[in-house]
Formats: sequence, structure tokens, C-alpha cells
Amino acid sequence: MGEATSASGGSGAQFFQLQVTVASAKLTNTGGLFSSKPDPFLELSVDGQPPRKTEVCKKTVTPKWDEHFTVLVTPYSHLEFKVLSQNTVRNNTLLGHLSIDLYPLLEENQGKCSKYTKTYTLAADGKGKTGDLVVTLDGMTVNLAKFPKKTTNHQANGQVAGAKAAARTSRTSGTSGHGRAAPPPPNRPVNRGASSPQSTLPSSNSNQTAASPAVAVPNGIVPAVATGAADSGSETPGTASAPPQQMPQPSLPNVPPNTEPLPAGWEARKDAQGRYYYVDHNTKTTTWERPQPLPPGWERRVDPRGRVYYVDHNTRTTTWQRPSTDLVNNWHSWQDWRNNRTTATAMEALQNRYLYPNMAAVQPENDSLGALPEGWEKRVDANGRVYFVNHRNRTTQWEDPRTQGIIQEDPLPEGWEMRYTADGIRYFVDHNSKNTTFQDPRGGPSKGPKGQYGVPVQYERSFKWKLGQFRYLCSSNSLPGHVKITISREGMFEDSFNQIMRLQPFDLRRRLYIIFKGEEGLDYGGVAREWFFHLSHDVLNPMYCLFEYASNSNYSLQINPGSSINPEHLHYFRFIGRFIAMALYHGKFIDSGFTLPFYKKMLSKKLVIKDLESIDSEFYSSLMWIKENNIEECGLELYFSADFEVLGKIDPHDLKEGGSEIRVTEENKEEYISLMTNWRFTRGVEEQTKAFLEGFNEVVPLQWLQYFDERELELMLCGMQEIDVDDWERNTIYRHYQRSSRQIGWLWKFVREIDNEKRTRLLQFVTGTCRLPVGGFAELIGSNGPQRFCVEKVGKETWLPRSHTCFNRLDLPPYKSYEQLVEKLTLAIEETEGFGQE
Amino acid sequence: MAATRRLQKELSDIRKSENNILKNIQVDESNILLWQGLLVPENPPYNKGAFKIQIDFPAEYPFKPPKITFKTKIYHPNIDEKGQVCLPIISAENWKPATKTDQVLQSLASLINDPEPEHPLRADLAEEFTKDKKKFMKNAEEFTKRNSEKRPID
Repeated sequence: MGEATSASGGSGAQFFQLQVTVASAKLTNTGGLFSSKPDPFLELSVDGQPPRKTEVCKKTVTPKWDEHFTVLVTPYSHLEFKVLSQNTVRNNTLLGHLSIDLYPLLEENQGKCSKYTKTYTLAADGKGKTGDLVVTLDGMTVNLAKFPKKTTNHQANGQVAGAKAAARTSRTSGTSGHGRAAPPPPNRPVNRGASSPQSTLPSSNSNQTAASPAVAVPNGIVPAVATGAADSGSETPGTASAPPQQMPQPSLPNVPPNTEPLPAGWEARKDAQGRYYYVDHNTKTTTWERPQPLPPGWERRVDPRGRVYYVDHNTRTTTWQRPSTDLVNNWHSWQDWRNNRTTATAMEALQNRYLYPNMAAVQPENDSLGALPEGWEKRVDANGRVYFVNHRNRTTQWEDPRTQGIIQEDPLPEGWEMRYTADGIRYFVDHNSKNTTFQDPRGGPSKGPKGQYGVPVQYERSFKWKLGQFRYLCSSNSLPGHVKITISREGMFEDSFNQIMRLQPFDLRRRLYIIFKGEEGLDYGGVAREWFFHLSHDVLNPMYCLFEYASNSNYSLQINPGSSINPEHLHYFRFIGRFIAMALYHGKFIDSGFTLPFYKKMLSKKLVIKDLESIDSEFYSSLMWIKENNIEECGLELYFSADFEVLGKIDPHDLKEGGSEIRVTEENKEEYISLMTNWRFTRGVEEQTKAFLEGFNEVVPLQWLQYFDERELELMLCGMQEIDVDDWERNTIYRHYQRSSRQIGWLWKFVREIDNEKRTRLLQFVTGTCRLPVGGFAELIGSNGPQRFCVEKVGKETWLPRSHTCFNRLDLPPYKSYEQLVEKLTLAIEETEGFGQE
Repeated sequence: MAATRRLQKELSDIRKSENNILKNIQVDESNILLWQGLLVPENPPYNKGAFKIQIDFPAEYPFKPPKITFKTKIYHPNIDEKGQVCLPIISAENWKPATKTDQVLQSLASLINDPEPEHPLRADLAEEFTKDKKKFMKNAEEFTKRNSEKRPID
């Protein structure tokens, strides 16, 4: 609990960066009665903050980690090292620990910690020496004159215990970290500097590649907090005169929040009714809500255009949004997740995702579509872009006449022939009856013959075929040559934004040639793949305020209605639209996807009430309650209007003209529900969606997506991974069914029989996404935390299966035969609209 | 505002009702989403004082449930040090748009009068409550005398 540090609005806190390298250890204590060698790893904690951890070395008493941690410290900080042995079943065993107080060390070295390597002794309680640990401290320079020696160096120890106790208390009190959660731990080390989120610095100048000085500081230099203060002296209240900050005392939960000091420039006042309100003299605004002080290491600045932004010296980034503890926590959970994802394994997992590689690769020219219609010619313009000339009526067009309109894959009925008119319009000749028609004989109201699983052929999709069509559109619209995009790893988001928005959209359809600065090499696709992978994480960075997680623990993206706090947000959305279109166009995958309702929006499909379930289950339940219950007698007092709170303002909205005077009744409630659903999906995000779609459409015309449904779109963007059915079955739970029930046996038989694409589709149907956590089915997450795949017995055999995506639950009626189960399940997962999900 | 009419009606109904649980209800004219009032429990050890509570209604009310916090400290197994209370009727799983604030308050009052140590927010107090009821009553009574508000005169 460290708000005390930030009492002066963050700028007065004297934090320094320290590079801690944990090289290796020699252990004499093997951690228990068992003679086998331990699996040691190391935890480093600064002043009782949550620890950073090294990788685990397997079965050794001489672990070599060679890991670097960049931690934020004060000259009075206390570093705690713990070497533990990882146990799968029991708690981890402590093999030895080591405490380092920085102050005496700095004193000894005249305030410098530069490449200071030493072999320290590890000890364990009651065992004496248990080994040696080699540690290097680097990159910290302090003017000790400003930091007087303190008499009690051991205070830090007490704080460690105190902080832990406080953390425990707050956990048992059942709170959700509301406002008073622990301060952010020092940032994770940034190997290669790759994962440091990039600044959305105000007035992002396209020529400015080096970004701000704070961003480009190499490792081991005096940190930005100190230099920043010196550079922009006017903004930062004199850090020199401020007394050095001792690490904060943990504030206990029962201390009323009001005792905390306000951030700099804020004042508390009482109104006539004796209620407190708060004046922000910095922005000349008032609010009812007590402002939270800036978290440690943060500073408020004003750009040349007078706009307020915030600098995070912990990570050397900037953001428009005033950092609240929630935001910082969000950012940290994103960062942890991102660090997890950025491991070699995740990248490898992504490399293993696929669609149909053989098709995605090269679609030869003059392919299966056959020759062009008579009178047509394919040409290439001066820019190398392909276009089509219709000599009959002397017109040109970009679209390939062979793919205009939807081409059906199945053959024409006996005796039919397809021809093109002089104008390139397709028509059909029926030689049986000697008639011609523009009506495609394969369409029409008849559901036609039944396919493999007893499902009308019309409902069977052919993802593979559609993908082929899409790839053909891409290749026939590609341009010669390549487009070079040079970015730095540290400034990936800004660099990518600047370059992609500077180019013409059609340039982005040339072959990509991505270069990471300082790592020149040929891009045969691998570098581009890495770029899509990393950038897809960066657009999610909550500091940009562009996207938010759809629910607490689901990493699907949706547009953040409060994104306008970032003045450039619409430009960024346009950029992200282009970026996503590029991923589809170039057949690359991104690692984090969007919500299914967002894909539906890209396909301009109507959103229905069921779509709400995965993004706002409370709202969904309430709306369903209204739908399913007679509302006449229960005093709901609902009218055709709705409110939405964004950025602290309540925005009223009439669902239709004069709506605030029209009461919702049993008769008109269907209309209300439909209007409300629509509003719930568009509120606060209309402009952003438009900008995104415009950006997308510039690179890939949205019509090209018309073949696909939202699930297929997700697959195209995120790729398929091979689904491990054993893992799936092992981690499935049942309600009102037994593992031995007939229907359950049939279900797994069916899952084993279908191909991976259909399995993925079943997964999407039940969980709302085709993506699986790194740990597989055991780590599946629902809207309220971990939630295993669940099959529940619901309904009668005539029903179709249903799903509840927020609980990862499949409602499977007790079907009477395997064939029946297969038919119903196939229908449900193939054609979800209007079937399976309500 | 969409929630206004509903809340106005609920407020006037509560104020009119005979045995209303919440006394001295204060609602700011400019912000009907925030209510404050005094809870006056009937059972010992809380019947010696009154407890200030705050009800925060979300802008999306009644699609989302209100939140209740105790502004007066209370020695109770189901209310934590920050004044947060876990009330099933306003949890995400049980919430219905037809649930009235009056019902919520009744449910709150019965929780205060009869603690549920099997669903504690403060494990220490729950343990004391089950293992040494006498001690709990004594502590709670003292705590109430020290910290609670004066009961309003009817």
C-alpha cells in the first residue's frame, strides 16, 4: 500500500532504476529429505513488493539463471533474494535467502552501483549457510549528499512483514482491489527492450523516430526520473529540496481513505450542504470523486498545446489517461500476460497455427476460375495494379468479373450452363427446357439435398472454399514490388503507426518487407509474422485507451468507449483497421483477437440479444428477464430511453424519437429489447468503429469478407491450432450427466470423428472464441474466472443444443441416438444464427 | 435520465411506507443515483445505535444492481472494514430488474440483525461469533456504543 510515496503527485518520489543480474548459485541444501536434486528458481523482492521470478532450472544444485531484472529502488531500499525449489504438489521449498540493504553498499562505493558483482552467502533459518549466490548490481548513481543516512536500516525488514500482513488482510476482506490496492510492482525486466509499451506522445510527429528522450535511454543510465526533472525543471516541483522518501508504510485497510493527502494542485472543499468536492487547480475542474494520487513514479505534464498527459517513469512511457490504481493494475496484468505471450513458446504456438497453408501460399494465376468471359481482358496499370477491361462496353473495373457475385461451388444441375452477357453479367441456360434466366438454379427456397450429417447442403459451409475465394481476390489485387516498413522494437507502435498511415493504402498490398532497426536481415515472412504478433499485443495496451477487455478475465478486445480521452484516437483506430486488414490480406495471424460481436460488426451483421452474453452478462440477464417475464405489474418504470456513463459523464439517449415519454409495456417490449440491444453495442463506440472500418476498407474492401461468418473471420485472423481432444475430454465437467452417460460417449465419439476445423467451430460455439489458453483446456476462462468446459443436460430431444459462452457451457439435450446427436449438434454449430443460441 | 423515474418512484414509496427501514434518507436533487440514510437495527447488539449507509445506483439501473456501503463502522461478520457488504439479492447472479430497493433494504436489515457467520467477510469476527457468542456480543456492543450514530427520534 504505497500511496504515501505519491503524496506529492509522484514527481517528488525519488526512484532510481537498478539493474539486478542474477547469475548463478551453488547450493548445499537440496531442500528436504529427498536426496534428489532440486528445481531451483529465484525470487527477488524490493521493499516487500510482489516478487519477480527467474526461470526454473531443472534438477541441479548449480543453477545458472543469468537473468536481468530492472527494479525501482530508493537509496534506502532493501532487496530480498529467495532461492526456492519448485514443487508441483507441495509448497515450494526455501533453499536459502539473502538480504541486501542498498544504503551501506552505496556508501561504500561513493553512491555508485556500477557493475558491482559479488558472491553472497545464502542462508536458511536454523541451517546457517546453505549456498552461494552471484549477483551483479548495475546502473544506479546517487548523490548521497541528498540522502542522509538513516539510523534504522532494519526498518525495511519490518515493512516487508507489514506489507505482507496488510496484503493478507485486504485479501480476506473480500474486496476487489477497489482503489486501495497495492502499488504497482516495479516493471519486469525488458530484455532487448522489446516489451516496453510505446508512448502515445502528444502531437506524434511522423518524422520523429527517436521518440522522447525518456524512451530511448539505454540500459544502465541514470533513470528518467532524475534526468526528466532536470530537463523540464519548470514542470517538476524541485525534487532536490524534497526530503528523500522512505518506502511507504503499509497503510492498513481500516484507516479511512480520507487521511491520504491529495495530489499536487488539488484541493478539497465543502459545498453548502457540507458535502466534499474536489477542485483540480491544474485543469480548473471540479469533481465529486476524491482523486487518487498518482501512483509512484508517475508525473503529470502539459504538452505545448496545453494538453495534460502523464509520464510513467517506471516504464518510460506516456499516456493521456490519468493513471488510477485500477488502470495501473490493468496495465500490469496486461504486461504480465504480454510477457507470458511473448515467450518463445507462445510465438512457436502461433507459428503452429494454420489455415490451409497450401492455399494461403500461392494461388496460381489463371487458376480454377478458368478463362475470363469473352470480351474481357486483364491488365496491369502503371502502378502495377491489376484491373479488368470490358472491351464490349469499353469499361474498366478493379473487380474480377469471374468473382463478382457469389459463386457457388457445387455444380449446376444436369443440363444447365452458365454464360455471361455482353456486359459481363452472368446468366443461366437451361437446355432441358430451352430457357434462360438470371436466377441461379442452385439457390432458391428449396433446401436441396441433405449432406453428410443430414444437414441440408445449403447450410454446410465450406470454409476452405471461401478462403480460396478470398485468397484469389487478394492475389489478383496485389501489386508488384514490395513495401518497406522499418520499425524499432522499442517504438513499435508509434513507428508502425507513422509508417502505415504515411503510405497509400494500396501500397500495403505489396509484399511486406519488415525491418527491425539494427537487425537488418532478409524478411522471408518470419519477421513480418513477428511484427503482426507483437503489434497485436500493443494495440491492446490499456495505456492507449483504445481497446478494453470484453470481460474481467477474457482477453478479447472491444473498443473502449472512453477512448476519446486520447485526442488522436480516431487516427489510431484507422491505423488499427489498416493493420488488421493487412494481417488478413497477407495471411498472417495476430495473437489477440476481438469479441465475436465485433467480428459481426465487421461483417455488418445484425447483433442479437444473445451476442450480449459474452460481453456484459449482467446486462444480458436483465434484458432476458424482461423478455421472459410479464412486466406489467412489477413497476419497472422503463421508458424508451437509456443512460450511459462514460468518462464520468452520464449521457442520456432516446432509443427512438420521443422515447423518454414512451413507457415500455408488455406489448412493445420486443421493440424495446431490440433497440436496447442495438444501443448497447453501439453506445460510445460508433465513431471509433467507423474509423476502424474505414481503415480496414482502404486495404481490404469489406465486401471481400461477405462469404464469411464471424467465427470464420476469427479463424482467419487468429489461425487454427490443433485441438487436443484428450486434453479437452479430460478437462470437461458435467452437470446432470455422468462421464458414463450415453450422450457423453456419443459427444466425444463425434468430436473425435470431425476434423479440426469443425472442432474449432464447436469450441467457438461454446466458449465464444477459437483461441485456447497456453495451458490448454485446464486453463479455460469464463466471465467470472476459471471455468472449465461444461456439458449440461437440458431440455428435450427435439431441441437443438445451446451454449452459454460466459460459462463455457454446452446445453446438450438427452438425444435418443448417435445420429440424432450428430445432426442436431452439426446444425447448431454450423448455423448458429437463429438456431442454437436461443 | 432513464433511471430517474424509477428511482423517484421507489424513493417516494419508501418514504411513504409505514415501517421503513432506512431513516433520514438524503438524496441530492442533482444526483438521484446516490442515497444516504440511517439503518436502525432492532436486535442486540446493534439496537443501541444507528448506522449510516450509502446506496450507489449505476447509470444503467435497473439493468445493473446498486451497491451498498456502510459509512459507519460496524462490528459484524458480514461487513468488512471498508464498509463493504456481500448481499446475495444484489449479486450479479441473482439480480433482477424488478428487484426494489425496499426489498434490498429488508434483506440488508435481516442480515444485520441475524449475522451469517457461514458466509463471512471478516473471518475473525465470524469465528468469535460462533465460538464465543458472549464475547462477541460484548465486543460488538462496546464497538457500537463507541462508533455508531445516534438513533433518530421517531
